[in-house]
Amino acid sequence: MRTLVVYCHPNPDSFVAAVRDAALMGLRAGGHEVRVTDLHARGFDPVFTAEEEAHHLSDSTVSAEIAPYAADLQWCESLVLIYPTWWAGQPAMLKGWIDRVWVNGVAWEFPQGASRLRGRLRNIRRITVVTTHGSSKFVNALEGEPGKRIATRAIRVLCSRTCRTRWIALYTVDRSTLAQRQAFLQRVTRRMRR
Amino acid sequence: MRAVVVVVHPIDTSFTHSCAAAATNALRSSGHDVTVLDLYAMGFQPAMTESERHAYHGEQPVVDPLVAESVEAVRSAEMLVFVYPTWWSSVPAMLKGWLEKVMLPDVAFVFDAAGKVRPGLTHVRTIVGIASYGSPRTYIRLMNDNGRRTLMRALRLNTGWRTTCRWLPFYSIDGSTPEQRAAFIARVEREVGSL
Repeated sequence: MRTLVVYCHPNPDSFVAAVRDAALMGLRAGGHEVRVTDLHARGFDPVFTAEEEAHHLSDSTVSAEIAPYAADLQWCESLVLIYPTWWAGQPAMLKGWIDRVWVNGVAWEFPQGASRLRGRLRNIRRITVVTTHGSSKFVNALEGEPGKRIATRAIRVLCSRTCRTRWIALYTVDRSTLAQRQAFLQRVTRRMRR
Repeated sequence: MRAVVVVVHPIDTSFTHSCAAAATNALRSSGHDVTVLDLYAMGFQPAMTESERHAYHGEQPVVDPLVAESVEAVRSAEMLVFVYPTWWSSVPAMLKGWLEKVMLPDVAFVFDAAGKVRPGLTHVRTIVGIASYGSPRTYIRLMNDNGRRTLMRALRLNTGWRTTCRWLPFYSIDGSTPEQRAAFIARVEREVGSL
């Protein structure tokens, strides 16, 4: 499948960088065509601007800054998000990528007279999230899993109606052992092959 | 009470700013000491940088002077008020980044001897969220109301057990009338003023 990997971590030596490499290994072994967006390396600006806010309902033209990110999104059949979970959700950098790239004319449209917006990313048939959590699964459940629901509900509704979602997560990473982290990397590689 | 009002909207004439002004005025007339942090106006940078990430678990996690200003306000706050528009069912990246960079170890939480996270915001007695939504309430519920969960649960877990939460939502803003918006602002003034 044409796969877009959106990777978000400021530190190139982080465990999440190793997770990305493990995912890419699996994707290539599975014969998928892959594009990678490294938000920090590309210096993405996550701040939705006053200009964008003023025209977001009426204007579907995409700025030159956002256009390459939008083209990748419209190209892929499978979207893979790789990030550390901070404050129960996607890092601001990745949330900003959603705020600024999933815009009118790219991810949705609001036709004249319609009562709600219509998704345009029907090309995306699968969303996979690979993430690490400092906290336990229990604490995440208490928090109501905002990050998981943003991926599997809020943005999924704009994708193919039959879009499937996968959640691959390592909980309690701060207190994990080396063996647990290595096992997670192997799990990521194995699951990304398909 | 010392209150910190965090306002997030790129346009300073927005409905969000009107709500924030109503909340601030109501708090001041009730005799509270209010600090307003208008993140867009401050030019806050929400993305965690590599040097900030490296410093995160160290002695000096605060790198950015704007973060220092917010940290100082939060350390003495007894009330936190968040005013923002909901984007993709959650808080804007700007507010998410503020949480990541300001709610640091030894500010919002502490690690105990076993390395477990314990609350650090025990001085916060009230959390208020004032959020506008493009969608109606049923749809927001279906999407899990992720902004509310982030503030009223994830952040709430780091305050004391007796901290009270107040959520003031304004749904379906895109199809709303000026009367409905004015009524909501009056509600914000009334409810926040009575806290």
